Order: sequence, then C-alpha cells, then structure tokens
Amino acid sequence: MIYVLLVFWVTSAILAIQARKLVRLIVYLAIFSTISAICFFVLGAPDVAMAEVAVSSFSTVFMIVCFEKYFTLVTEVTPDPPKEKIFLMRFRKLVLPIAFTGLLAVLFVYFIPEGAASTYLRDLYLSRFMFEVGGENAVTSIYLGYRVYDTLFEALMLLISVVGVAHMSWRNESEITDEQFAGVTKSDAVDVYTIRIICPAMLIFGVYLILNGHISPGGGFQGGVAVASFFICRYLIHNVYDVRFGKIMIFEKMTFAAIVVLAAVFIFFGFYVQFPQFRTAYMILMNLLIAMKVSFGFIIIFYRYIAFERR
Amino acid sequence: MYVIWILLAFMLLYIIRTVQGPTVWDRLLGMSLISVKVIILIIAIASIFDRAYMLDYAIIYALFGFISVIFITFFIKDRMRGNK
Amino acid sequence: MELIGNIVTIIGLAVMLTGVVGLYKFKDFYLRLLVLAKIDTVGAITFMIGIIIRHGFSSFSLKVLLIMVLFIILNPLTAHILARAAYQSIEGITEEQYIEGYDDGHGGK
Repeated sequence: MIYVLLVFWVTSAILAIQARKLVRLIVYLAIFSTISAICFFVLGAPDVAMAEVAVSSFSTVFMIVCFEKYFTLVTEVTPDPPKEKIFLMRFRKLVLPIAFTGLLAVLFVYFIPEGAASTYLRDLYLSRFMFEVGGENAVTSIYLGYRVYDTLFEALMLLISVVGVAHMSWRNESEITDEQFAGVTKSDAVDVYTIRIICPAMLIFGVYLILNGHISPGGGFQGGVAVASFFICRYLIHNVYDVRFGKIMIFEKMTFAAIVVLAAVFIFFGFYVQFPQFRTAYMILMNLLIAMKVSFGFIIIFYRYIAFERR
Repeated sequence: MYVIWILLAFMLLYIIRTVQGPTVWDRLLGMSLISVKVIILIIAIASIFDRAYMLDYAIIYALFGFISVIFITFFIKDRMRGNK
Repeated sequence: MELIGNIVTIIGLAVMLTGVVGLYKFKDFYLRLLVLAKIDTVGAITFMIGIIIRHGFSSFSLKVLLIMVLFIILNPLTAHILARAAYQSIEGITEEQYIEGYDDGHGGK
C-alpha cells in the first residue's frame, strides 16, 4: 500500500513541477501536500502529518493571495517557441527529472550507509523517556525534554519570519479601508451561516490538540495552527478591518520571552530533577505557550498578506 | 484490507480526472474529491488497526480541507470573468 | 455485527464507484459536480455508518460520528461554493444549457 502512495506522491510532485499555469500549480501543490500527509501518516509519523495538513491550508492561502496580486503578469501570452526548440524543452523538462529521480532511487537502494541503521539512540530514548521526561507521547518528550534547544530556535525562526513579513509590507496601517480589506472575498449567506457553525469546532479542536499534546499526537504547533485557522474563518465571516497589529506583535514577543524563561528555569536550572511532580504541568504549559506564539505569528502573517499585500 | 486498494484505485482515477479536466473548476473538484477519499482512507486504516487516536487526523482533515478550496475559488472567481 | 458492518461498508464503496463512473461519463462541469455534492456525500456517510456498526458502541464510533457530522456540514458547503463560483464566472457552460435550465431569475450572464 505504501508503495502505491509513494508513486502517487512522486507523480503529483512531477505534475506540480510541470504545470504551465499558476492556478494549476497551486491546485497540484494542494494535492501534493494532501498525499504527502497521508504518506507521513502511513509511515508512522502522525505528528508530522498533522502539521503538514494544518500548514498546507495556510500555504495555499498565502500562495493564492500572491497569485491574485501578480495576475496580470501571469496572463500575458507568451509566443510559441520554434519547433527545433520544442524537442530540447521536452528533453529538459521531462527526461532529465525522470532520469535524476531514477538515479536517486538507485542510489538509495544500493548504497545504504552502514552506520545510519544504528538503533542505539532510538532505543535509549524509547526506553527512558517515561522516567526522565514524562508524558506518554515520545515525540513531545523529545521536543520538550531532550531537544529543547531545537524548539527554542524554531520559535525564534518563526518570530524572525513574522518580523520580516511585518516590516517589508508595502503600505502603512492607516491607509487600509474596510472595502480594500474585504476585496473580492464577499461571502454569500450560505457560506457565512455554515462557517459560523464550524468556527467553534475549530477552536475547541485546537484546544484539545494543545492540552492533549503530551499523551496523543498533536501538540503546540498543530494546535496553534488550528486556533489560527479560526481567524481565517473570522475573516470570511466579518470582512471588517479591526485588527491591531501592534498589540498582537507585542503579545507574540512576550510569549516568546515566556517560552525561553520557562524552558531555562525548568530545564537548565535543574528543577526538572528536583520536582518530578511538576513535569506534566511543565509540558502542558509549554505546549500552551508554543501554541499561543504560533497562532499569533500565523494571524499576523495572514492578515498582513490579506490587508497589505493586495492590489 | 480490500477497502484500501479500492480507495487507492479511486484516488488514481480522480488524479487522472484532475489532470485531464478542461477547466480550473474540474481540477478543484478533483482536489476536493481526493481529500474526501483521504478521510475515508484514514478511517479505514484506523478501523483495521483499531486505534482511536488515528481518527484525530481525519478530524483535522475534515476541518481544514475546505479552507484552501474556499480561498482558491474566491480569488479566482472575479479574475476569471474578464480574461479567461 | 461485524458482517453487517462490512456489508454496509461495501454498499458505501459501491455508491462511490458509481460516482467515479459518472465523473468520466458526464460532459459538463455542473453534472460532474453532482459526484461531489450528492454521490460522494452519500457514499462517505454510508461508509462511516458501516464502520460505526462494525465497532459497536465505543469511543471509536463516537469519533467517527463526530467526523460524520463535520462531513455532512462541510462537504455540501464545498460543493455549493464551487458551483456558485463557476456559475458566476460563466466557465464551461454553453448558451443552450444557460437558456434551458440555469437561469436564476436575475439575468446572471
């Protein structure tokens, strides 16, 4: 079964590369992320699959907003190339990627490195994470216990990208009007009422993912994205510009500071060893902070794209 | 197990329809059909292995699958009218 | 109990198979939309009911029921949005069909 899914995966990736029009590219890319999510799921990584699903919807939204901005550039008709060039183009576009993929497959099959198959670290983590870190989900105990530096720097990376998006926008905040903010997305009554029913389910499911992060798949990042997608639906319902970016950005930076302080106090000062009864509380609190930070960041990026980057 | 193979065959046919479809809307239709099939596939896998936590993934898919379709339709709709 | 569940599951898959046939047989986008709007919804709901019957009364079937409720709400929404957007952009619809049955009373074209 997994081989068939992998073939679909590669096929959709090639389709996305081959697409001539930008809309087709975006649709194929959405299919690609769908199939990659189910591949991750079947291969045994439900956390990664959840993150992929949640992020893929956001990335599609960002891409389509950018597409709307550059639509006139895209629809300009390019003249057909002369006939002797068509063969060369086909060779470049079809034969070379397939040959490269085949070469990679052969390399992966025949030259598996010997040392990579060592199971020492995996056995160590799997046998000891319950006693050393706590929690029942090994992934959460790894990214909040053993690899807490990774989590800190990922949070810092998201913060930097949010700051970059916020400071490279084209317009000032005072120039935005409600009409411009709404743009082409005028929903009709059926959309508004249905999405109003669905919105609370998203919020509740996000909170469920966050608070159950240490015992089931999910966690801070996935829950945060789920909570942020509630705000996409809010945009679809309301169409009114009432976002204050300054306050949200201040909140986001404060949350990042709280993450750093909590991790530093609990892990690096050794409270972890002294108070083992607080470990579950630490994981829940850390997941909650990460989710707040991620959702604030995604809200800022989404509203910036919608309000500031459109024509 | 037979269910999974049938669903995979359906997905293959949908992908062919998506590639072949003459308009953008056909492609979007194929995309949403594939996401429906993915939900069904996850439920089938979870039922075979009898694990309840796998269904969280189907829930997250059912919740977020429609956002991308909504945005693509909204943003293409008005641009399509003038220049096809 | 498991046998009945399997039979209902197979019925759901058969309904979806008719949808696949229709997807290749119909010549118009609005007819193809029928596959998503009605046939796939019915097939998926039948499939989930089969799974629920198969597992009896447990937390597993409760979650499947939740997915079913979300699905009943959201899948027709997707179909509605697609149909409305395609109608507004007048894409893939010929003049005859427009005169025959797609008039909404407002002179949409």
